[in-house]
Amino acid sequence: MPFVGEILKHRSVSIVGLAKNAGKTECLNYIIRRLPLDYFNVAVTSIGIDGETTDQVTGTAKPEITVREGMFFATSEKHFRQKRPLSELYDVGEEDTALGRVVTAKALQEGKVLLSGPSSAVALKRWMRSLKDFGIDLILVDGALSRLSTASPAVSEAMVLSTGAAYSANIRELVAKTAFVVELIRLPLYVGEEPQVRVSSFSSLDAATLKGQRVVEVEGALTDRLLQLAKNALDDDGLELVVGDFTKVFCSQELYRAFVRRGGRLSVRLKSELLAVCVNPKAPNGIVLDSDLLCRELSEKIGLPVYDIVKNEYEV
Amino acid sequence: MKFREIVDSPCGIRYLFDGLELQSGYARKVLLDREMMVDAEQIDAAGDALRRYYDLVLADRRRVEDMRFRLQGLRDISGTLASLADGATLDEIEFFEIKHMAMLAESLAMGQDMDKVIDILDPDGLKIGTFYLYDSYSVELRRLRDAVEQDPDDAQLQEDLANEEDRLKKSISEKLRPYAASLQRTLQEMADLDISLAQAVQMHVEGLTLATSGDHTEIRGMFHPGVRAALKAKGRDFQPVDFAFRCGVPATVIGANMGGKTVALKTLCLIQYLWQFGFALPVESAVMTPFNDIRFCIGDEQDEKTGLSSFAAEMQRIDRAIAVVETGIRVLLLVDEPARTTNPVEGTALVAALLLRLADKPALALVMTTHYTVEHAGECWRVQGLVPGTKGRSMDYRLVRTTSHEVPHEALNIARELGIDARWIDLADTIMKRQYE
Repeated sequence: MPFVGEILKHRSVSIVGLAKNAGKTECLNYIIRRLPLDYFNVAVTSIGIDGETTDQVTGTAKPEITVREGMFFATSEKHFRQKRPLSELYDVGEEDTALGRVVTAKALQEGKVLLSGPSSAVALKRWMRSLKDFGIDLILVDGALSRLSTASPAVSEAMVLSTGAAYSANIRELVAKTAFVVELIRLPLYVGEEPQVRVSSFSSLDAATLKGQRVVEVEGALTDRLLQLAKNALDDDGLELVVGDFTKVFCSQELYRAFVRRGGRLSVRLKSELLAVCVNPKAPNGIVLDSDLLCRELSEKIGLPVYDIVKNEYEV
Repeated sequence: MKFREIVDSPCGIRYLFDGLELQSGYARKVLLDREMMVDAEQIDAAGDALRRYYDLVLADRRRVEDMRFRLQGLRDISGTLASLADGATLDEIEFFEIKHMAMLAESLAMGQDMDKVIDILDPDGLKIGTFYLYDSYSVELRRLRDAVEQDPDDAQLQEDLANEEDRLKKSISEKLRPYAASLQRTLQEMADLDISLAQAVQMHVEGLTLATSGDHTEIRGMFHPGVRAALKAKGRDFQPVDFAFRCGVPATVIGANMGGKTVALKTLCLIQYLWQFGFALPVESAVMTPFNDIRFCIGDEQDEKTGLSSFAAEMQRIDRAIAVVETGIRVLLLVDEPARTTNPVEGTALVAALLLRLADKPALALVMTTHYTVEHAGECWRVQGLVPGTKGRSMDYRLVRTTSHEVPHEALNIARELGIDARWIDLADTIMKRQYE
């Protein structure tokens, strides 16, 4: 039962896919199937529209989330009315989204649901706080496509990453791209005195602002433009950029490498714990990668176990 | 006029609105949609009710906090209740909303027949706030659910189950329907309770007072809570001031720059709105009289956004106010330094003419600040002004009635207090006197 034991050590875990069809939903269902619900109260939701029966972009079949008896789940009014097992309603939220309000219910039997939970990271956090009266031990969050914000340590404590052929059809490239994300997730926590200089991507900056600085706090996103300026401002004493967490880093691997090569450092205020990486070797366009090779190469590169849960169906 | 239309008035009522600790978003919506009261009896009744909540806050804070905690669960289910009243068949989400609301009302000892509503939605007598179509609603429901669980792929069973669920939803909706009006009333009452408790707590925290109604306005010790808070942050105190006015007698307020004329006018506007929306007032005591319309003419940053010059915006604002006054309804018109941005010759003429234009309007109460000297038949108030011997650093903001309508020449006094070259200031004094003679 790989990594499920690790999940149980946390209050909240997000499952994040690096691309659509990267196997995130299978990964979530895999985790749900293996949770010891007899002595664990679990709630599951997703951020924004997700859990569609067919993928809206590529039209491929997309498994629904199967909730087990006794599990709590949150979804929109629209999807709650559309499909669910027999469920007991616990809460109807106030915030209205395109799909209606967010409904929190407890499944009274096992069944499939379409998940479309709170629409933003802020609303998600609010929902997570609202669960405190229901005695929930673990909250699982299905992070939607390119909504890494759900994986922010400000929202959930730990994360499971899913990647696959849909992200890149070339094993070497897939490994390199995934390893870069993993590297960002593992950025070190900032330790030191409070930085004197704060910058943001919106401020009008030039290299002179950063010149001679040792530590600079980046408010909001770290973009290529900002990182380029930081790189240009680097001198022999080095420069450390401090960002909120890895989800705020929006820069290319090449530029980041160049920055680090020239003595730059990147650190974070809050750190996520990466519990596992799951892969889906199948891409929607029919390409199928060698699962064993992919798992081995990626695992070697990131030093963490990598699972193809569909192929291997690791038994409980 | 609704509260939402004045919540961003330059009088600064937003400070108190933001400080109001409402427990539910629904109460906030209800308050914003509240109509301004114009009937003195109605306003007095609202004041009496608020006094009872205020007494409760003082007497039993724990009970108040318990009620407020419960009110956090208040949701806007007016749409669901309207559907129920209209004869619709509700679904599980809507039943949940009604059950949740009825249980909330019962826990607050509010509403009629809430126990009967709960009985319908809690057939097992569990007394918990969750809901689903309980098996105990029908033997058939239970039988079909068991059968579907045994054979989940049987389409006929699925359909039978769905039909039975629909039949039950219809039947539960019918049973609830007689209580729709009571539920609607109770929902409104709970929002009102949330608002009243928040107002009562604010009354305690900000030191607000309830007013009585009369045929004129007489305020003692008024202060502006927002300005007071800003001053407090700088370690300074707000000096409360007294003021009075009545319909048919225009009042002008004159005095030194920085003498608090604009703040006094903003406070008058704020107090009038607060009173007519059922709040307690930032005063020591007050006799208030209601108006059908309250017009506050003051320059604000909106003028720049709309591309109008401040003069044009001001003239248009006063023009609209004149039109309202002409309808003959009771109007409180507060005008801050009209024509201040134009030259003194035309400015004085415009102000004097405005007072003439608005003379003999028995339903109009006009209060206007100005730095022009204009004679008129009404009352003139002046800011007490500089405290002698403090080198211009201390201002007495009190307003006093004066018979002289001449604007005080405070600039020269300030300069003297500051110890500026005496010959220069004496010369200025001589030139000024010569001009006036």
